[in-house]
Amino acid sequence: MLGIETSCDETAAACVRGGTQVMSSVVSSQVDLHARYGGVVPEIASRAHSELIIPVTARALLEAGIDGADVDAVAATTGPGLIGALLVGVSAAKALALAWDVPFVSVNHLEAHLYAGFLEEPELRFPLVVLLVSGGHTMLVLVEGHGRYRLLGQTLVDAAGEAFDKVARFLGLGYPGGPAIDAAAMVGDPEAIRFPRSMLDDGLDFSFSGLKTSVVNHVRSHPQVSTEDVAASFQQAVVDVLVAKARRAAREVGAVALALGGGVAANSLLREQFLGACAEDGLHAFLPSRQMCTDNAAMIAAAGWYRLEREGPTPLDCGADPNQRLSIVP
Amino acid sequence: MLILGIETATMQVGCAIGGHEGVLASVHSAKGKRHAEQLVPSIQFACEQARVELSEIGLVAVDVGPGLFTGLRVGVATAKALAFSLRLPMIGVPSLDLLAFPVRFSNRLIVTAVDARRGELYYACYRQVPGGVQRVTDHQVGSPDDLASELLASGEEVLLVGDGAQRYQEAFEGMAKVELVDTGNSHPSAAALVELAHARALREDFERPDAIEPLYLRRPDAEINWSTRDGR
Ligand SMILES: [Zn+2]
Repeated sequence: MLGIETSCDETAAACVRGGTQVMSSVVSSQVDLHARYGGVVPEIASRAHSELIIPVTARALLEAGIDGADVDAVAATTGPGLIGALLVGVSAAKALALAWDVPFVSVNHLEAHLYAGFLEEPELRFPLVVLLVSGGHTMLVLVEGHGRYRLLGQTLVDAAGEAFDKVARFLGLGYPGGPAIDAAAMVGDPEAIRFPRSMLDDGLDFSFSGLKTSVVNHVRSHPQVSTEDVAASFQQAVVDVLVAKARRAAREVGAVALALGGGVAANSLLREQFLGACAEDGLHAFLPSRQMCTDNAAMIAAAGWYRLEREGPTPLDCGADPNQRLSIVP
Repeated sequence: MLILGIETATMQVGCAIGGHEGVLASVHSAKGKRHAEQLVPSIQFACEQARVELSEIGLVAVDVGPGLFTGLRVGVATAKALAFSLRLPMIGVPSLDLLAFPVRFSNRLIVTAVDARRGELYYACYRQVPGGVQRVTDHQVGSPDDLASELLASGEEVLLVGDGAQRYQEAFEGMAKVELVDTGNSHPSAAALVELAHARALREDFERPDAIEPLYLRRPDAEINWSTRDGR
Protein backbone atom coordinates (compact mmCIF):
# COMPACT_ATOMS: atom_id res chain seq x y z
CA MET A 1 0.00 0.00 0.00
CA LEU A 2 1.34 3.40 -1.00
CA GLY A 3 0.06 6.08 1.38
CA ILE A 4 -0.03 9.81 0.64
CA GLU A 5 -0.63 12.57 3.19
CA THR A 6 -0.94 16.31 2.44
CA SER A 7 -3.56 17.53 4.91
CA CYS A 8 -1.51 20.27 6.57
CA ASP A 9 2.15 21.26 6.31
CA GLU A 10 3.89 17.93 5.76
CA THR A 11 4.12 16.32 2.35
CA ALA A 12 4.43 12.61 3.07
CA ALA A 13 4.45 9.29 1.24
CA ALA A 14 5.07 5.80 2.59
CA CYS A 15 5.01 2.17 1.56
CA VAL A 16 3.52 -0.25 4.09
CA ARG A 17 3.07 -3.99 3.64
CA GLY A 18 0.05 -5.70 5.15
CA GLY A 19 -1.09 -2.75 7.21
CA THR A 20 1.79 -3.03 9.68
CA GLN A 21 5.21 -3.42 8.06
CA VAL A 22 6.66 0.00 7.23
CA MET A 23 8.95 -0.33 4.19
CA SER A 24 9.51 3.40 3.85
CA SER A 25 8.12 6.59 5.32
CA VAL A 26 9.18 9.90 3.82
CA VAL A 27 8.04 13.17 5.39
CA SER A 28 8.99 16.53 3.95
CA SER A 29 8.15 19.18 6.49
CA GLN A 30 7.37 22.74 5.47
CA VAL A 31 7.91 24.08 8.99
CA ASP A 32 10.61 26.49 7.79
CA LEU A 33 8.29 27.98 5.16
CA HIS A 34 5.63 28.81 7.73
CA ALA A 35 7.76 29.63 10.78
CA ARG A 36 7.92 33.38 10.23
CA TYR A 37 4.12 33.61 9.98
CA GLY A 38 3.70 31.81 13.32
CA GLY A 39 1.34 29.26 11.81
CA VAL A 40 0.53 27.34 8.66
CA VAL A 41 -0.40 29.56 5.70
CA PRO A 42 -2.77 27.52 3.49
CA GLU A 43 -1.72 28.98 0.12
CA ILE A 44 1.98 28.53 0.89
CA ALA A 45 1.32 24.96 2.05
CA SER A 46 -0.61 24.12 -1.12
CA ARG A 47 2.15 25.46 -3.37
CA ALA A 48 4.79 23.48 -1.52
CA HIS A 49 2.73 20.26 -1.68
CA SER A 50 2.40 20.73 -5.43
CA GLU A 51 6.19 20.94 -5.79
CA LEU A 52 6.98 18.14 -3.36
CA ILE A 53 4.34 15.50 -3.98
CA ILE A 54 6.08 13.65 -6.83
CA PRO A 55 9.67 13.83 -5.46
CA VAL A 56 8.43 12.61 -2.05
CA THR A 57 6.43 9.77 -3.63
CA ALA A 58 9.38 8.76 -5.81
CA ARG A 59 11.61 8.74 -2.73
CA ALA A 60 9.16 6.51 -0.79
CA LEU A 61 9.16 3.94 -3.62
CA LEU A 62 12.95 4.09 -3.90
CA GLU A 63 13.53 3.64 -0.18
CA ALA A 64 11.09 0.73 -0.11
CA GLY A 65 13.05 -0.78 -2.99
CA ILE A 66 9.96 -1.19 -5.12
CA ASP A 67 8.63 -0.08 -8.45
CA GLY A 68 5.25 1.37 -9.35
CA ALA A 69 4.30 -2.06 -10.71
CA ASP A 70 4.69 -3.53 -7.20
CA VAL A 71 2.14 -1.17 -5.65
CA ASP A 72 -1.17 -2.95 -4.94
CA ALA A 73 -3.22 0.05 -3.85
CA VAL A 74 -2.91 3.78 -3.19
CA ALA A 75 -4.36 5.49 -0.13
CA ALA A 76 -4.60 9.23 0.46
CA THR A 77 -5.91 11.51 3.18
CA THR A 78 -9.18 13.07 1.99
CA GLY A 79 -9.85 15.04 5.20
CA PRO A 80 -9.99 16.70 7.61
CA GLY A 81 -7.40 19.34 6.73
CA LEU A 82 -6.68 22.34 4.51
CA ILE A 83 -8.74 21.90 1.34
CA GLY A 84 -6.13 23.19 -1.12
CA ALA A 85 -3.46 21.02 0.48
CA LEU A 86 -5.65 17.89 0.60
CA LEU A 87 -6.55 18.22 -3.07
CA VAL A 88 -2.93 17.97 -4.20
CA GLY A 89 -2.44 14.61 -2.48
CA VAL A 90 -5.86 13.25 -3.46
CA SER A 91 -5.34 14.24 -7.12
CA ALA A 92 -1.89 12.68 -7.29
CA ALA A 93 -3.03 9.50 -5.51
CA LYS A 94 -6.02 9.01 -7.79
CA ALA A 95 -3.85 9.53 -10.87
CA LEU A 96 -1.33 6.95 -9.63
CA ALA A 97 -4.12 4.45 -8.92
CA LEU A 98 -5.52 5.07 -12.40
CA ALA A 99 -2.14 4.68 -14.11
CA TRP A 100 -1.17 1.52 -12.20
CA ASP A 101 -4.71 0.16 -12.42
CA VAL A 102 -4.94 -0.53 -8.68
CA PRO A 103 -7.57 0.45 -6.08
CA PHE A 104 -7.66 3.94 -4.58
CA VAL A 105 -8.63 4.28 -0.91
CA SER A 106 -9.82 7.44 0.82
CA VAL A 107 -8.48 7.75 4.38
CA ASN A 108 -9.68 9.94 7.24
CA HIS A 109 -6.66 11.65 8.80
CA LEU A 110 -7.96 11.16 12.35
CA GLU A 111 -8.62 7.47 11.76
CA ALA A 112 -5.05 7.19 10.47
CA HIS A 113 -3.68 8.63 13.73
CA LEU A 114 -5.58 5.88 15.57
CA TYR A 115 -3.68 3.34 13.48
CA ALA A 116 -0.23 4.80 14.05
CA GLY A 117 0.09 2.77 17.27
CA PHE A 118 -0.27 -0.51 15.41
CA LEU A 119 2.52 0.20 12.96
CA GLU A 120 5.29 -0.62 15.33
CA GLU A 121 3.44 -3.21 17.35
CA PRO A 122 1.14 -5.21 15.13
CA GLU A 123 -0.50 -7.24 17.88
CA LEU A 124 -3.81 -5.44 18.14
CA ARG A 125 -5.79 -5.32 21.35
CA PHE A 126 -9.39 -4.19 21.56
CA PRO A 127 -11.20 -2.47 23.15
CA LEU A 128 -8.62 0.26 23.01
CA VAL A 129 -8.84 3.91 24.01
CA VAL A 130 -6.82 6.36 21.94
CA LEU A 131 -5.85 9.80 23.19
CA LEU A 132 -5.45 11.79 19.99
CA VAL A 133 -3.76 15.16 20.54
CA SER A 134 -2.62 17.44 17.74
CA GLY A 135 -2.71 21.05 16.62
CA GLY A 136 -6.28 20.70 15.43
CA HIS A 137 -7.74 17.99 17.67
CA THR A 138 -7.85 16.72 21.20
CA MET A 139 -10.06 13.67 21.47
CA LEU A 140 -10.55 10.43 23.29
CA VAL A 141 -11.74 7.67 21.00
CA LEU A 142 -12.82 4.17 21.90
CA VAL A 143 -11.75 1.71 19.20
CA GLU A 144 -13.94 -1.39 19.57
CA GLY A 145 -12.45 -3.02 16.49
CA HIS A 146 -11.32 -2.06 12.97
CA GLY A 147 -13.50 0.77 11.75
CA ARG A 148 -15.60 0.79 14.94
CA TYR A 149 -15.05 4.02 16.83
CA ARG A 150 -16.87 5.85 19.59
CA LEU A 151 -16.07 9.40 20.53
CA LEU A 152 -15.68 9.57 24.32
CA GLY A 153 -14.57 13.16 24.69
CA GLN A 154 -13.13 16.03 22.73
CA THR A 155 -11.94 19.58 22.93
CA LEU A 156 -14.67 22.17 23.24
CA VAL A 157 -12.63 25.21 22.26
CA ASP A 158 -8.86 25.06 21.73
CA ALA A 159 -7.03 21.86 20.90
CA ALA A 160 -4.00 21.02 23.07
CA GLY A 161 -1.58 21.63 20.19
CA GLU A 162 -3.13 25.02 19.57
CA ALA A 163 -2.63 25.93 23.24
CA PHE A 164 1.05 24.91 22.91
CA ASP A 165 1.45 27.11 19.82
CA LYS A 166 -0.27 30.10 21.38
CA VAL A 167 1.55 29.90 24.69
CA ALA A 168 4.89 29.42 22.89
CA ARG A 169 4.22 32.48 20.78
CA PHE A 170 3.21 34.48 23.84
CA LEU A 171 6.39 33.43 25.64
CA GLY A 172 8.47 34.29 22.57
CA LEU A 173 9.62 30.69 22.18
CA GLY A 174 8.88 30.52 18.46
CA TYR A 175 7.06 28.17 16.13
CA PRO A 176 6.11 25.34 16.15
CA GLY A 177 5.11 25.62 19.79
CA GLY A 178 5.12 21.94 20.82
CA PRO A 179 8.86 21.24 20.51
CA ALA A 180 9.67 24.78 21.73
CA ILE A 181 7.72 24.33 25.00
CA ASP A 182 9.04 20.80 25.38
CA ALA A 183 12.63 22.07 25.16
CA ALA A 184 12.12 25.08 27.45
CA ALA A 185 10.28 22.93 29.99
CA MET A 186 13.29 20.60 30.30
CA VAL A 187 15.12 23.27 32.25
CA GLY A 188 12.09 24.73 34.07
CA ASP A 189 10.33 23.80 37.30
CA PRO A 190 6.95 22.20 36.59
CA GLU A 191 5.78 23.03 40.11
CA ALA A 192 6.83 26.67 40.07
CA ILE A 193 3.33 27.88 39.21
CA ARG A 194 0.11 26.07 39.92
CA PHE A 195 -1.93 26.62 36.75
CA PRO A 196 -5.54 25.39 36.75
CA ARG A 197 -6.29 21.85 35.53
CA SER A 198 -9.25 22.77 33.34
CA MET A 199 -12.33 20.58 33.66
CA LEU A 200 -10.30 17.89 35.38
CA ASP A 201 -13.27 16.35 37.12
CA ASP A 202 -15.86 17.23 34.49
CA GLY A 203 -16.58 14.38 32.08
CA LEU A 204 -14.20 13.49 29.27
CA ASP A 205 -14.24 16.70 27.25
CA PHE A 206 -11.31 19.09 27.20
CA SER A 207 -10.78 22.83 27.20
CA PHE A 208 -7.45 24.61 27.30
CA SER A 209 -8.57 28.18 26.74
CA GLY A 210 -8.80 28.93 30.47
CA LEU A 211 -5.30 27.59 31.00
CA LYS A 212 -3.98 29.77 28.20
CA THR A 213 -5.58 32.83 29.80
CA SER A 214 -4.04 31.97 33.20
CA VAL A 215 -0.60 31.76 31.62
CA VAL A 216 -1.03 35.18 30.02
CA ASN A 217 -2.37 36.71 33.26
CA HIS A 218 0.38 35.17 35.36
CA VAL A 219 3.17 36.44 33.10
CA ARG A 220 1.62 39.92 32.93
CA SER A 221 1.40 40.16 36.70
CA HIS A 222 4.86 38.58 37.25
CA PRO A 223 7.06 40.13 34.54
CA GLN A 224 10.22 38.71 36.16
CA VAL A 225 9.01 35.11 36.03
CA SER A 226 11.30 32.55 34.38
CA THR A 227 10.02 31.61 30.92
CA GLU A 228 11.27 28.06 31.46
CA ASP A 229 9.25 27.75 34.68
CA VAL A 230 6.13 29.00 32.93
CA ALA A 231 6.68 26.57 30.05
CA ALA A 232 7.27 23.65 32.44
CA SER A 233 4.27 24.50 34.65
CA PHE A 234 2.00 25.01 31.65
CA GLN A 235 3.10 21.73 30.10
CA GLN A 236 2.56 19.92 33.39
CA ALA A 237 -0.99 21.27 33.63
CA VAL A 238 -1.83 20.13 30.08
CA VAL A 239 -0.29 16.70 30.55
CA ASP A 240 -2.01 16.16 33.91
CA VAL A 241 -5.40 16.77 32.31
CA LEU A 242 -4.69 14.64 29.23
CA VAL A 243 -3.39 11.68 31.20
CA ALA A 244 -6.07 11.84 33.89
CA LYS A 245 -8.88 11.89 31.34
CA ALA A 246 -7.35 9.10 29.26
CA ARG A 247 -7.08 6.89 32.34
CA ARG A 248 -10.61 7.65 33.39
CA ALA A 249 -11.88 6.92 29.88
CA ALA A 250 -10.08 3.58 29.79
CA ARG A 251 -11.51 2.65 33.18
CA GLU A 252 -15.06 3.70 32.28
CA VAL A 253 -15.23 1.63 29.08
CA GLY A 254 -13.19 -1.29 30.36
CA ALA A 255 -10.42 -0.89 27.79
CA VAL A 256 -7.50 -3.31 27.78
CA ALA A 257 -5.12 -0.88 26.12
CA LEU A 258 -4.40 2.81 25.81
CA ALA A 259 -2.76 4.43 22.80
CA LEU A 260 -1.35 7.85 22.11
CA GLY A 261 -1.46 9.62 18.74
CA GLY A 262 -1.15 13.02 17.06
CA GLY A 263 1.62 15.59 16.98
CA VAL A 264 1.41 16.47 20.69
CA ALA A 265 2.09 12.79 21.46
CA ALA A 266 5.70 13.59 20.59
CA ASN A 267 5.89 15.61 23.84
CA SER A 268 8.43 14.08 26.25
CA LEU A 269 6.50 14.64 29.47
CA LEU A 270 3.26 13.32 27.99
CA ARG A 271 5.02 10.16 26.79
CA GLU A 272 6.63 9.56 30.15
CA GLN A 273 3.45 10.07 32.18
CA PHE A 274 1.35 8.12 29.70
CA LEU A 275 3.61 5.07 30.11
CA GLY A 276 3.58 5.48 33.89
CA ALA A 277 -0.22 5.62 33.97
CA CYS A 278 -0.60 2.54 31.78
CA ALA A 279 1.81 0.61 33.99
CA GLU A 280 -0.07 1.60 37.15
CA ASP A 281 -3.47 0.74 35.71
CA GLY A 282 -2.35 -2.52 34.11
CA LEU A 283 -3.19 -1.32 30.61
CA HIS A 284 -1.28 -2.30 27.50
CA ALA A 285 0.37 0.87 26.15
CA PHE A 286 0.64 1.64 22.45
CA LEU A 287 3.15 4.45 22.22
CA PRO A 288 4.17 5.19 18.63
CA SER A 289 7.64 6.55 17.98
CA ARG A 290 7.79 10.31 17.58
CA GLN A 291 7.90 10.05 13.77
CA MET A 292 4.71 8.02 13.78
CA CYS A 293 2.92 10.40 16.17
CA THR A 294 3.39 13.46 14.00
CA ASP A 295 1.78 13.53 10.56
CA ASN A 296 3.15 10.84 8.27
CA ALA A 297 1.95 8.67 5.42
CA ALA A 298 2.70 5.26 6.95
CA MET A 299 -0.34 5.67 9.18
CA ILE A 300 -2.37 6.62 6.09
CA ALA A 301 -1.24 3.46 4.30
CA ALA A 302 -2.03 1.35 7.38
CA ALA A 303 -5.51 2.81 7.85
CA GLY A 304 -6.04 2.50 4.10
CA TRP A 305 -5.11 -1.17 4.14
CA TYR A 306 -7.71 -2.02 6.79
CA ARG A 307 -10.28 0.19 5.12
CA LEU A 308 -9.74 -1.47 1.74
CA GLU A 309 -10.27 -4.88 3.37
CA ARG A 310 -13.45 -3.69 5.05
CA GLU A 311 -15.09 -1.47 2.48
CA GLY A 312 -13.30 -2.00 -0.84
CA PRO A 313 -11.93 0.72 -3.13
CA THR A 314 -13.13 4.32 -3.07
CA PRO A 315 -14.65 5.53 -6.39
CA LEU A 316 -12.35 7.81 -8.42
CA ASP A 317 -14.87 10.66 -8.42
CA CYS A 318 -14.08 11.22 -4.76
CA GLY A 319 -12.87 14.66 -3.68
CA ALA A 320 -11.59 16.03 -0.39
CA ASP A 321 -13.56 17.20 2.63
CA PRO A 322 -11.82 19.76 4.88
CA ASN A 323 -14.27 19.00 7.72
CA GLN A 324 -14.45 15.25 7.32
CA ARG A 325 -15.40 13.57 10.58
CA LEU A 326 -14.34 10.31 12.03
CA SER A 327 -17.18 7.93 11.27
CA ILE A 328 -18.54 6.94 14.62
CA VAL A 329 -20.60 3.80 15.23
CA PRO A 330 -24.14 4.70 16.29
CA MET B 1 2.50 9.87 -30.43
CA LEU B 2 -0.72 10.05 -28.44
CA ILE B 3 -1.11 13.01 -26.12
CA LEU B 4 -3.31 13.33 -23.04
CA GLY B 5 -4.22 16.95 -22.35
CA ILE B 6 -5.47 18.12 -18.94
CA GLU B 7 -7.07 21.52 -18.42
CA THR B 8 -8.41 22.84 -15.10
CA ALA B 9 -7.50 26.54 -15.06
CA THR B 10 -11.03 27.94 -14.80
CA MET B 11 -14.40 26.63 -13.59
CA GLN B 12 -14.10 24.07 -16.36
CA VAL B 13 -12.59 20.60 -16.19
CA GLY B 14 -11.26 19.61 -19.59
CA CYS B 15 -9.46 16.61 -20.94
CA ALA B 16 -8.57 15.59 -24.51
CA ILE B 17 -6.66 12.86 -26.32
CA GLY B 18 -5.08 13.20 -29.72
CA GLY B 19 -1.97 13.13 -31.82
CA HIS B 20 -0.99 13.40 -35.46
CA GLU B 21 -4.47 12.26 -36.52
CA GLY B 22 -5.89 15.26 -34.68
CA VAL B 23 -8.06 15.25 -31.60
CA LEU B 24 -9.66 11.84 -30.96
CA ALA B 25 -11.78 12.76 -27.94
CA SER B 26 -12.35 15.80 -25.83
CA VAL B 27 -14.43 16.14 -22.68
CA HIS B 28 -15.35 19.44 -21.04
CA SER B 29 -17.60 20.12 -18.11
CA ALA B 30 -18.06 23.38 -16.30
CA LYS B 31 -20.39 22.90 -13.42
CA GLY B 32 -19.66 23.61 -9.79
CA LYS B 33 -15.87 23.82 -9.68
CA ARG B 34 -15.43 20.18 -8.82
CA HIS B 35 -12.02 19.72 -10.44
CA ALA B 36 -10.73 17.01 -8.12
CA GLU B 37 -13.93 14.97 -8.36
CA GLN B 38 -14.36 15.21 -12.13
CA LEU B 39 -10.89 15.10 -13.59
CA VAL B 40 -9.98 11.42 -13.25
CA PRO B 41 -13.43 10.22 -14.41
CA SER B 42 -13.12 12.64 -17.37
CA ILE B 43 -9.76 11.10 -18.29
CA GLN B 44 -11.29 7.62 -18.12
CA PHE B 45 -14.22 8.74 -20.26
CA ALA B 46 -11.95 10.41 -22.84
CA CYS B 47 -9.88 7.20 -23.08
CA GLU B 48 -13.04 5.17 -23.66
CA GLN B 49 -14.33 7.58 -26.30
CA ALA B 50 -10.99 7.64 -28.09
CA ARG B 51 -10.67 3.86 -27.68
CA VAL B 52 -7.25 4.35 -26.24
CA GLU B 53 -5.64 2.65 -23.25
CA LEU B 54 -3.77 4.88 -20.84
CA SER B 55 -0.68 2.77 -21.56
CA GLU B 56 -0.74 3.94 -25.20
CA ILE B 57 -0.32 7.59 -24.17
CA GLY B 58 3.12 8.99 -25.00
CA LEU B 59 2.96 12.51 -23.58
CA VAL B 60 1.07 14.37 -20.87
CA ALA B 61 0.21 18.00 -21.60
CA VAL B 62 -1.23 20.28 -18.96
CA ASP B 63 -2.67 23.78 -18.79
CA VAL B 64 -0.39 25.56 -16.29
CA GLY B 65 -2.55 28.67 -15.96
CA PRO B 66 -2.82 31.44 -14.98
CA GLY B 67 -6.21 30.70 -13.43
CA LEU B 68 -7.83 29.31 -10.29
CA PHE B 69 -5.03 28.17 -7.99
CA THR B 70 -6.85 25.16 -6.61
CA GLY B 71 -8.03 23.99 -10.02
CA LEU B 72 -4.55 24.38 -11.48
CA ARG B 73 -2.98 22.38 -8.68
CA VAL B 74 -5.47 19.55 -9.20
CA GLY B 75 -4.59 19.50 -12.90
CA VAL B 76 -0.85 19.79 -12.41
CA ALA B 77 -0.73 17.16 -9.60
CA THR B 78 -2.79 14.75 -11.70
CA ALA B 79 -0.69 15.35 -14.82
CA LYS B 80 2.60 14.99 -12.98
CA ALA B 81 1.47 11.82 -11.20
CA LEU B 82 0.41 10.30 -14.52
CA ALA B 83 3.67 11.30 -16.20
CA PHE B 84 5.64 9.90 -13.25
CA SER B 85 3.81 6.58 -13.07
CA LEU B 86 3.63 6.04 -16.84
CA ARG B 87 7.19 7.39 -17.29
CA LEU B 88 6.13 10.01 -19.84
CA PRO B 89 7.49 13.39 -20.88
CA MET B 90 5.40 16.49 -20.21
CA ILE B 91 4.57 19.80 -21.84
CA GLY B 92 2.95 22.72 -20.01
CA VAL B 93 0.94 25.31 -21.95
CA PRO B 94 -0.48 28.57 -20.55
CA SER B 95 -4.27 28.89 -20.28
CA LEU B 96 -4.31 32.17 -22.20
CA ASP B 97 -2.67 30.46 -25.21
CA LEU B 98 -5.43 27.85 -25.15
CA LEU B 99 -8.05 30.58 -25.40
CA ALA B 100 -6.26 32.34 -28.27
CA PHE B 101 -5.56 29.28 -30.43
CA PRO B 102 -9.18 28.42 -31.36
CA VAL B 103 -9.84 32.01 -32.55
CA ARG B 104 -6.53 32.33 -34.47
CA PHE B 105 -8.13 32.93 -37.87
CA SER B 106 -8.40 36.64 -37.33
CA ASN B 107 -6.25 39.56 -38.35
CA ARG B 108 -7.30 41.47 -35.28
CA LEU B 109 -5.35 41.68 -32.06
CA ILE B 110 -6.47 38.65 -30.01
CA VAL B 111 -6.76 39.39 -26.30
CA THR B 112 -7.51 36.58 -23.87
CA ALA B 113 -8.62 37.14 -20.29
CA VAL B 114 -9.21 34.65 -17.49
CA ASP B 115 -11.06 35.53 -14.28
CA ALA B 116 -8.45 36.14 -11.56
CA ARG B 117 -11.03 36.74 -8.77
CA ARG B 118 -10.89 39.82 -6.52
CA GLY B 119 -12.14 41.97 -9.39
CA GLU B 120 -9.09 41.25 -11.56
CA LEU B 121 -8.16 39.47 -14.76
CA TYR B 122 -5.15 37.56 -16.04
CA TYR B 123 -4.67 38.60 -19.64
CA ALA B 124 -2.31 38.63 -22.62
CA CYS B 125 -2.31 39.72 -26.30
CA TYR B 126 -1.75 37.49 -29.33
CA ARG B 127 -1.33 37.76 -33.07
CA GLN B 128 -2.02 35.24 -35.75
CA VAL B 129 1.12 33.60 -37.19
CA PRO B 130 1.36 30.74 -39.71
CA GLY B 131 0.04 27.61 -37.96
CA GLY B 132 -1.05 29.31 -34.76
CA VAL B 133 -0.78 32.35 -32.58
CA GLN B 134 2.08 34.19 -30.96
CA ARG B 135 1.88 35.93 -27.64
CA VAL B 136 3.02 39.53 -28.01
CA THR B 137 2.80 40.69 -24.38
CA ASP B 138 3.65 39.26 -20.98
CA HIS B 139 0.98 37.58 -18.88
CA GLN B 140 -0.55 40.39 -16.87
CA VAL B 141 -2.81 40.83 -13.84
CA GLY B 142 -5.09 43.84 -13.71
CA SER B 143 -8.60 45.17 -13.35
CA PRO B 144 -11.06 45.06 -16.26
CA ASP B 145 -10.73 48.85 -16.43
CA ASP B 146 -6.94 48.55 -16.74
CA LEU B 147 -7.40 46.21 -19.68
CA ALA B 148 -10.13 48.39 -21.25
CA SER B 149 -7.91 51.47 -21.20
CA GLU B 150 -4.97 49.51 -22.66
CA LEU B 151 -7.18 48.34 -25.51
CA LEU B 152 -8.48 51.85 -26.10
CA ALA B 153 -4.95 53.26 -26.11
CA SER B 154 -3.77 50.66 -28.65
CA GLY B 155 -6.41 51.89 -31.12
CA GLU B 156 -6.52 48.40 -32.64
CA GLU B 157 -9.36 46.17 -33.73
CA VAL B 158 -9.58 43.60 -30.94
CA LEU B 159 -11.06 40.15 -30.52
CA LEU B 160 -11.58 39.60 -26.78
CA VAL B 161 -11.97 36.04 -25.43
CA GLY B 162 -12.27 34.28 -22.08
CA ASP B 163 -14.37 33.78 -18.96
CA GLY B 164 -12.76 36.87 -17.43
CA ALA B 165 -13.85 39.02 -20.37
CA GLN B 166 -17.34 37.51 -20.12
CA ARG B 167 -17.62 38.16 -16.43
CA TYR B 168 -16.64 41.82 -16.70
CA GLN B 169 -18.20 42.49 -20.10
CA GLU B 170 -19.69 45.82 -19.01
CA ALA B 171 -16.13 47.19 -18.81
CA PHE B 172 -15.78 46.63 -22.59
CA GLU B 173 -19.28 47.62 -23.65
CA GLY B 174 -19.47 50.52 -26.08
CA MET B 175 -15.88 50.03 -27.26
CA ALA B 176 -16.39 50.21 -31.02
CA LYS B 177 -13.25 48.32 -31.97
CA VAL B 178 -13.59 45.51 -29.39
CA GLU B 179 -15.59 42.39 -30.16
CA LEU B 180 -16.30 40.05 -27.28
CA VAL B 181 -16.36 36.43 -28.48
CA ASP B 182 -19.43 34.57 -27.24
CA THR B 183 -19.51 32.04 -24.42
CA GLY B 184 -18.77 28.99 -26.60
CA ASN B 185 -15.04 29.79 -26.42
CA SER B 186 -14.82 31.27 -22.96
CA HIS B 187 -12.88 28.45 -21.26
CA PRO B 188 -9.42 27.20 -22.30
CA SER B 189 -9.76 24.36 -24.78
CA ALA B 190 -8.31 20.94 -23.93
CA ALA B 191 -8.39 20.12 -27.64
CA ALA B 192 -6.23 23.18 -28.33
CA LEU B 193 -3.91 21.96 -25.59
CA VAL B 194 -3.42 18.66 -27.42
CA GLU B 195 -2.86 20.43 -30.75
CA LEU B 196 -0.35 22.93 -29.34
CA ALA B 197 1.46 20.21 -27.38
CA HIS B 198 1.61 18.08 -30.51
CA ALA B 199 3.33 20.86 -32.43
CA ARG B 200 5.87 21.22 -29.64
CA ALA B 201 6.33 17.46 -29.31
CA LEU B 202 7.36 17.31 -32.96
CA ARG B 203 10.20 19.66 -32.05
CA GLU B 204 10.88 17.53 -28.95
CA ASP B 205 10.29 20.65 -26.89
CA PHE B 206 9.55 18.72 -23.68
CA GLU B 207 9.78 19.90 -20.08
CA ARG B 208 11.10 18.17 -17.01
CA PRO B 209 8.05 17.21 -14.95
CA ASP B 210 9.57 18.78 -11.82
CA ALA B 211 9.86 22.09 -13.69
CA ILE B 212 6.12 22.18 -14.32
CA GLU B 213 4.21 24.22 -11.73
CA PRO B 214 1.17 26.48 -12.00
CA LEU B 215 1.82 30.01 -13.25
CA TYR B 216 0.54 31.82 -10.18
CA LEU B 217 1.43 35.42 -11.16
CA ARG B 218 0.46 36.41 -7.61
CA ARG B 219 2.37 35.72 -4.46
CA PRO B 220 0.48 34.30 -1.46
CA ASP B 221 -1.21 37.11 0.53
CA ALA B 222 0.70 36.23 3.69
CA GLU B 223 3.99 36.68 1.85
CA ILE B 224 2.90 40.03 0.41
CA ASN B 225 1.75 41.29 3.82
CA TRP B 226 5.00 40.12 5.35
CA SER B 227 7.13 42.03 2.83
CA THR B 228 5.00 45.16 3.19
CA ARG B 229 5.35 45.00 6.95
CA ASP B 230 9.11 44.86 6.62
CA GLY B 231 9.08 47.68 4.10
CA ARG B 232 10.72 45.41 1.52
ZN1 LIG C 1 -2.45 14.92 12.19
